[in-house]
Amino acid sequence: MPIFPSDEWVKEYVAKINTNEKYADAASDWEGDFLFIIEDDSSKKPVASIYLDLYHGKCRGGKFLDKSEGMQAAFSYIGPYRNWIRLIKREIDPIQGVLTGKFKLKGPMMKIMRYTRAAKELVNTANQVETEFK
Amino acid sequence: MIKLWFFRIPEIVYGEDSLSYLESTRHRRFLIVTDRNIARTDFPDLVMNNLPDASSSMLFSDIGEEPAFDEMTKSIERIREFAPDCIIALGGGSVMDSAKVIAFTYANPARQIYDLTPLEHLGIREKVSIIAIPTTSGTGSECSWAAVVSESDGLTKRKMELASTEILPETAILDPVFVRSLPLKQTVSTAVDAIVHAIEAYTSQWRNPYSDAMAIKALQLITGSIRSVIKDPLNIEFRNNVHIGASMAGSAFSNSQIGLAHAMGHALGSCFRIAHGYAVGLYIPEIIKYNSAAVPDLYREIRNVFPADARKKDLYGTIRYFFEEIGQPLTIGECGIDASAYESKMETLVKLSMESTGSLTNARESDSDSIRSIMLKVRGI
Repeated sequence: MPIFPSDEWVKEYVAKINTNEKYADAASDWEGDFLFIIEDDSSKKPVASIYLDLYHGKCRGGKFLDKSEGMQAAFSYIGPYRNWIRLIKREIDPIQGVLTGKFKLKGPMMKIMRYTRAAKELVNTANQVETEFK
Repeated sequence: MIKLWFFRIPEIVYGEDSLSYLESTRHRRFLIVTDRNIARTDFPDLVMNNLPDASSSMLFSDIGEEPAFDEMTKSIERIREFAPDCIIALGGGSVMDSAKVIAFTYANPARQIYDLTPLEHLGIREKVSIIAIPTTSGTGSECSWAAVVSESDGLTKRKMELASTEILPETAILDPVFVRSLPLKQTVSTAVDAIVHAIEAYTSQWRNPYSDAMAIKALQLITGSIRSVIKDPLNIEFRNNVHIGASMAGSAFSNSQIGLAHAMGHALGSCFRIAHGYAVGLYIPEIIKYNSAAVPDLYREIRNVFPADARKKDLYGTIRYFFEEIGQPLTIGECGIDASAYESKMETLVKLSMESTGSLTNARESDSDSIRSIMLKVRGI
């Protein structure tokens, strides 16, 4: 069972995205990359991130990055590790998570507003990966 | 276990003579936002006559139907010069939503409309307060932190659903004097909008105990009085019930979200000229049928709130019967939309519905196929 976050976990996650018909339906004309940023629970500083290259309902590639590797993306979904655990276990709704301050969402709002369903499906797909937490 | 969530509503002033509350407000510079039709009535004067002594006011009455951002904010420079400390929204949903957008733009000169999100502090409340005085009984905008803004990219017209807790009005004044002479068609379409708000709030995936209470009481008040309002439009007691019920339904959906009927209704309203209440009422029966496997108990509870003489064996039958009785169209033909024109727009309608957050919080999960299927069922052919 892959540990979140890790290279192995990202590989499985990308495979799940690419077989998720709901995501393909919701993101059929989406073009843009996404960065999941995992923060330390105490310091709130980024400790790792996951880069996703998303195009027309598929994920063309994903990469696990440790804190030394900086990478930019059009959109970032950011939160502390403990909230990522709850999100992956579906104890937090990805949109309610943003509205209650448990996660931050950064990127052009004009675009994301039209794709909230795709964003939700993207995050929900993480729950389909059998995951071990640190 | 209940997870962290909020229940936010304005201070609510209601009943006959509630307009006189304005005399006691702390504000002194009032921008009154209204539409062209209301500007021709005595409503603006009624409001101005109730403002505190030694206050000044400015009237902005150039709001049309389903306004876009540019129309809402075209007088923003004049408004800045006037420097209001309070914006009074006097009108229906378009006016109240315009007032919210004006408040946002007034407080945030450098921001784009898409920045009107709950994701960051916008400083609106530090700059100006919003008092909403609805002149229809249905949109619930006076109690919501959402604003619908029309937008066109040249190819597709959309109704953007913007939101921020900072645009929730500070006060909502529900004075029945403003709805006593509401025309029948608007009375019905706005009441249907409120009924759909309550049903969708009660079955939303984000439902909560507070929104549940508001939704059920709203349904009791509206379904118990709307038929009497239609028969006796000047009866202030029945009008008051529907007016208060509509604001309760607004409080409910604002805190638990809308569902597919609003997602699809906004899409329909983007493509065809149709009253918003008629658009959402058109879809809700078929959506109830679609959702019924997911929330059978909740629908049973809602059915039992309708007046006993209107109850049929399930909520689907009940809502169809009730809507036929009050004059809500149940097919696109009855809405005055040509079936072939409707079908030709089908993929746009599905896409716009999928973009709406209402499709995410609906009682049952949906996808483009299920939305298309519901869309086709109301063709009436």
